[in-house]
Amino acid sequence: MSMNFSEFIRQLGAEPRSQDPQFLRARQSSPEFLQASADADAFEEKLNRAMSLSEPENMKKGLLEISLAPIQTVTKPGWQSMAMAAGLLVVIGAAGIGWNMNRGWDSVEEYLADHYGHDGPGLVAQAGENTNKDIGRFFSRFDVEATPELANIVSIIKFCPTPDGKGIHMVLNTSEGPVSLIYMPDTEVTDQELIVFGDMRALMVKLETGSAVIIGSESQSISTLYPLIQESIIPVLRNV
Amino acid sequence: MSSESSRHARFNELVENYGTDLYRYAMWICGNDALAKDLVQETYLRAWKALDKLNDIGAAKSWLITILRREYARTFERKVPKFTDVETVVITEDSELEPDDRTEIELLRQSIMELAPKYREPLLLQVVLGHSCQEISEQLGISKSAVMTQLFRAREKLKSQLRKDGVTGNVHELF
Repeated sequence: MSMNFSEFIRQLGAEPRSQDPQFLRARQSSPEFLQASADADAFEEKLNRAMSLSEPENMKKGLLEISLAPIQTVTKPGWQSMAMAAGLLVVIGAAGIGWNMNRGWDSVEEYLADHYGHDGPGLVAQAGENTNKDIGRFFSRFDVEATPELANIVSIIKFCPTPDGKGIHMVLNTSEGPVSLIYMPDTEVTDQELIVFGDMRALMVKLETGSAVIIGSESQSISTLYPLIQESIIPVLRNV
Repeated sequence: MSSESSRHARFNELVENYGTDLYRYAMWICGNDALAKDLVQETYLRAWKALDKLNDIGAAKSWLITILRREYARTFERKVPKFTDVETVVITEDSELEPDDRTEIELLRQSIMELAPKYREPLLLQVVLGHSCQEISEQLGISKSAVMTQLFRAREKLKSQLRKDGVTGNVHELF
């Protein structure tokens, strides 16, 4: 049974690459069908070109690294265990921190050493001009927003894992050089607790919604950023 | 090969085979480069954690798309920003095109971004990911007949928009 023109056009518009024998036969069946096929092929070529996008540089490399990161069921790479065992991590402040772990980190120290160790130095090294990314989009995901005082000094921003789900990892441009900031929307911390790991220091900031941790080197006065951070990540509803 | 290295090899295969397509798909559904990268990253993060549940490697592409679509829905469950700025799209090199053709392609991209999701999504699944109508039907949970209608209408809307913008081409109105 052959296709009528109306059926053919519908098929052509819905599945122009169809290999259905009846459809392929119809393509050649008359000048009218041939012309419609040629028009459709020309349009498909344009459509394919229009929808072609370049693969972002280094995207696959970044994705492949996912399987190297220690998340949940993943066995941690040996170097991390060795680093931990070697006592690179020193905790100042005996008080425990209220972490509800569900991502495979047993303590705040482990999370910082692990996550920051994986991502932190590389991001700091990339810090440059202030980002032109839509910073509000990142924060709105968690029903908070960043004040201009914070938004205006963000150089790098990306989503990241936190001990209790997703968060935001940033690098800030400060007068003392790039400083890292991690926003953890669902994690509670002891306010102003300082954690030292390797030659880095991390200062906990309790926020109205969630918490943040400011991470800098020994030579940077990260505590001077504390008031800014505490005032700069605020619930969206506060402004409604 | 140990089970752990086999797991890594399977994951690497998913990245190599589908990473680019997933990014393209994500880019076209959300219209924002940074968000698309985040969606793809989150998709592969979830895929890595759930890799042992993927029994049929032949179904991997659909499995990844399902994860990505869920993650996209989750991202916007509370807020739905509208990104339609095609300038954020990283486009392949168009420099070899004639100026008129380049303009036409740009208009087409704009029109694709402006398509309603119910038309755009099946078109993306077909053109970007090479899904058949049957596969799109399964992915979107609608009948094959509905998929065909939406694909047909999507193309007709794009052609019609091009014609409205002064670009010639034949449009076959059936509906």
